[in-house]
Amino acid sequence: MDTSVLKVSDLQKEIQKKLIIKGVSFDIRAGEIVGFLGPNGSGKTTTLRMLVGLSKPTAGNIEICGHSLKKEFVKAMANVGCIIEGPDLYDYMSGYRNLELLGSMSKGVTKKDIDEAVALVGMENRIHDKVAVYSMGMKQRIGLAQALIHKPKLLILDEPTNGLDPQGIHEFREIVKNLAREKNISVLVSSHLISEVQLMCDRVSIINDGRIIRSASIDDVLVTGEVVWILDDPKRAQSILRESFDLDPSIDGCHLRASVDSGMLSEINKTLIASGFDITYVENKKRTLEDLFLALTEKHTI
Amino acid sequence: MIALIRNEVMKMLWKKKMPLILGLLLIFVSLLSYGQNYAYERNIEQFEAESGTAAFNWEGLTTQRLSELEERSQNEFIPEEVRASIDREIEQLNYFIENDINPVTPTAAKFNVSFAEQGIILFIPLLIAILAADLVSNEFSRKTIKILLTRAVPRWKILLSKYIALLIMTTLLVFIIGLTTTLVSYLFFQEWGFSEPIVTGFTLFEGTLNSDSTILIPRYQYTLLIYSLVWFVSIIVASITLLISVIVDTSASAIGILMAALIGGQFLQFFLSDWELVKYFFVTNLDLTRYLTGSYQPVEGMSLNFSITILSVWAIGSIAISFIVFNRRDVLV
Amino acid sequence: MYKKIIWPLVIGSAFVLSLLFVSGFIVSIVISGNDDTAQTETEMDMEIPESEPAEDMPPDGASDILVLGDSIGFGVGDEENLGIGERYLNLLDDDSETGKTVTNISVPGFESSQLASLIESDEYSASISSAELIILSIGGNDLNNLNLEDTATLTLAFDETLNIYKENLTFILSEIRSINPDAQLAIIGLYNPYSDDAPQNAPFLLEWNHETRLIVNSDVGFAYIPTYELFDYHLDEYLSPDDFHPNGTGYQAIAEILFRILN
Ligand SMILES: Nc1ncnc2c1ncn2[C@@H]1O[C@H](COP(=O)(O)OP(=O)(O)OP(=O)(O)O)[C@@H](O)[C@H]1O
Ligand SMILES: [Mg+2]
Repeated sequence: MDTSVLKVSDLQKEIQKKLIIKGVSFDIRAGEIVGFLGPNGSGKTTTLRMLVGLSKPTAGNIEICGHSLKKEFVKAMANVGCIIEGPDLYDYMSGYRNLELLGSMSKGVTKKDIDEAVALVGMENRIHDKVAVYSMGMKQRIGLAQALIHKPKLLILDEPTNGLDPQGIHEFREIVKNLAREKNISVLVSSHLISEVQLMCDRVSIINDGRIIRSASIDDVLVTGEVVWILDDPKRAQSILRESFDLDPSIDGCHLRASVDSGMLSEINKTLIASGFDITYVENKKRTLEDLFLALTEKHTI
Repeated sequence: MIALIRNEVMKMLWKKKMPLILGLLLIFVSLLSYGQNYAYERNIEQFEAESGTAAFNWEGLTTQRLSELEERSQNEFIPEEVRASIDREIEQLNYFIENDINPVTPTAAKFNVSFAEQGIILFIPLLIAILAADLVSNEFSRKTIKILLTRAVPRWKILLSKYIALLIMTTLLVFIIGLTTTLVSYLFFQEWGFSEPIVTGFTLFEGTLNSDSTILIPRYQYTLLIYSLVWFVSIIVASITLLISVIVDTSASAIGILMAALIGGQFLQFFLSDWELVKYFFVTNLDLTRYLTGSYQPVEGMSLNFSITILSVWAIGSIAISFIVFNRRDVLV
Repeated sequence: MYKKIIWPLVIGSAFVLSLLFVSGFIVSIVISGNDDTAQTETEMDMEIPESEPAEDMPPDGASDILVLGDSIGFGVGDEENLGIGERYLNLLDDDSETGKTVTNISVPGFESSQLASLIESDEYSASISSAELIILSIGGNDLNNLNLEDTATLTLAFDETLNIYKENLTFILSEIRSINPDAQLAIIGLYNPYSDDAPQNAPFLLEWNHETRLIVNSDVGFAYIPTYELFDYHLDEYLSPDDFHPNGTGYQAIAEILFRILN
């Protein structure tokens, strides 16, 4: 597949005789933002480490932009920018010097690229201070800049919003979304913050105990098919829905609930209105990602 | 590759290791040269007090020795090669008399050589270790190894650039050691003494002197020779430290391990000099300068070429293992 | 700043210095390459004299062995009170039945000046003139009475002592020669009883021995008996409990090397 920027197949990793990643496969297409969710110790960081060549897979294949990470490390890594477990920089140098140093390790990174990256993460004012005096959030920003200076096609970010304030998280989200939209950069982001994944990602992969247990688009994952009506006579509506649409609605105060195929919803509403009901509220109820997450990883103990 | 090396040199400079090393060196050298100067002056006083003469007369002593040597040189029974060595000593003493230099005065040229001779087994390796120990281990302990190894550069290139940067800094450090010892001791002694002649290239071994090989060279050349040996030893120590730095996680343990090896090695040599294996240990072979000054062998069967070979084997082995380990190592920090 | 000034400076000077050091290093190897041959020659030098003085050794004669000098000559530390002379004689007797006797006129603690005046006094001229082999051990006390603690004075004092010693030795040897022109003389070199504790003093001792040897070399009838190496590697075995004088084994070793060189 041409559009596949990252292709992972059957990845396994054994650390100290213990199988920690038990066969992970997924794909990321160009311009896609994929969330990587999982409870503590589920293997997110371990997987991402293998994706950026920090540790070697026990089995399985990783291809980045069509280059095997194992056989063509340099070509593959030229397309990757990453932050793995926190932004660790040389704190005896200024942020700018850090970027210069890292930039000089990739081909064709100019001063302009560095300045652009700095402007993008909004660090122009403090860029010449020593990293040692930066706050956590400032380091995160430089961390992101460092991942962007060589114009990668794939960003791999492990918990990138740790330590950012709400304003920072919002800015960060906008930056990542813009990158994906305007420069067609693919992003793989792991996070604790479910809301953040929900707001930022196109797709989500949920990993637990070294296995991907669910992988789908955000919308598909969240739609439950449950619809809630608030109307004047729930009892009568219940029987109409039973008879005409073969559903099994339940009544809960003035709420009427039923599992409905979303294609049928408008038909049902028309019928209800035609029958003279006074409908004040209809909601196609979505699960929160949190509900899903908890449901899927219920039996988890670290 | 040049950019990588430049980066590594920059990191080493920015880490402020050099000021620390320089500070250590300055303190040490100042104390030593002050002490030596003090002892020398005390001795002259003592000598004068004891001999009762008004002033210490080095010229008299030297002239006496010179006339003695000349007499001996004219003795026809003396074998030719012995005569050659006597003639060299005559030449040397003549220089001192002609230039009005007391041969036993401490000079900067003598001090920097004896500093190198004494420091080559422990102090200089320690300075190198301070420089080299955190080369790799620090990247691990500070976790910066992650941003370094996720660039589009193969791992071996990264380690190679680090090694070359280390060699560059080691070379500069050896030069700085020579410069500091010379300048500081000049402040105390007020004598350069670099053009004084010195006899080298012989072994005074059980009294036999192979004078075919002795040569009379000015002190600055001799200093250069000694510091070339120091440089070689420093590079060996740097290579071995690199290996330790690749294997352990913190620079403190890297320095600790190297110091333990150096001191332990001296112990081994001291207690077990009969044991054949000791002479294959790198620490036993560090003291290369003694081969140039013609002093004793610590363990039978050791020579300059032997020591250089052993040290080279250690260094090459260390570098090879460093590269293998670094290439394979999983970064789990 | 870094890219434009410091970096070119660093790499440039490192390059120049490396060239300098590499060439210096090569020169050192070349110089000490001779060093190596010097050392192998020194190892061989124990064997070279073996054949040489043998010609000077008259196989006949019933005359004595005379031991002159200090405590080492006297045999201090030897459990069997034999000393070098007796032990040497025993070695000879193994080969052939000679009825030789040993006269030992060594005085423990003797310095070279004292021996010189002893010889000058003509007191022992008779013994000297009748001896076939004269074993001389002197100089150890001269050197040992130097205060070896203090490095800077040491060089001065050492040079002085060495000069006096050389004068005395030259005098003693020429005196003995004039009394007895035919005797074989064996001068025992110094060993370093402190080599374990104070290896830094080795160069002094070596120079001392070297000077002794230069003087000894001036006459074919003089033989220099090296002990430095012998003792250096066997200090524990060869020293008596006072950690200064040889024990029986040590004296035996000296006698053996004397025997090898003379025969
Ligand atoms: N260096 C290591 N040695 C041994 N086991 C390790 C090591 N690193 C991680 N593990 C194990 O691998 C598993 C996955 O760890 P990982 O760091 O990938 O979790 P994570 O999903 O990133 O968790 P978190 O959300 O807490 O960051 C854990 O059970 C952990 O114990
Ligand atoms: Mg993690």
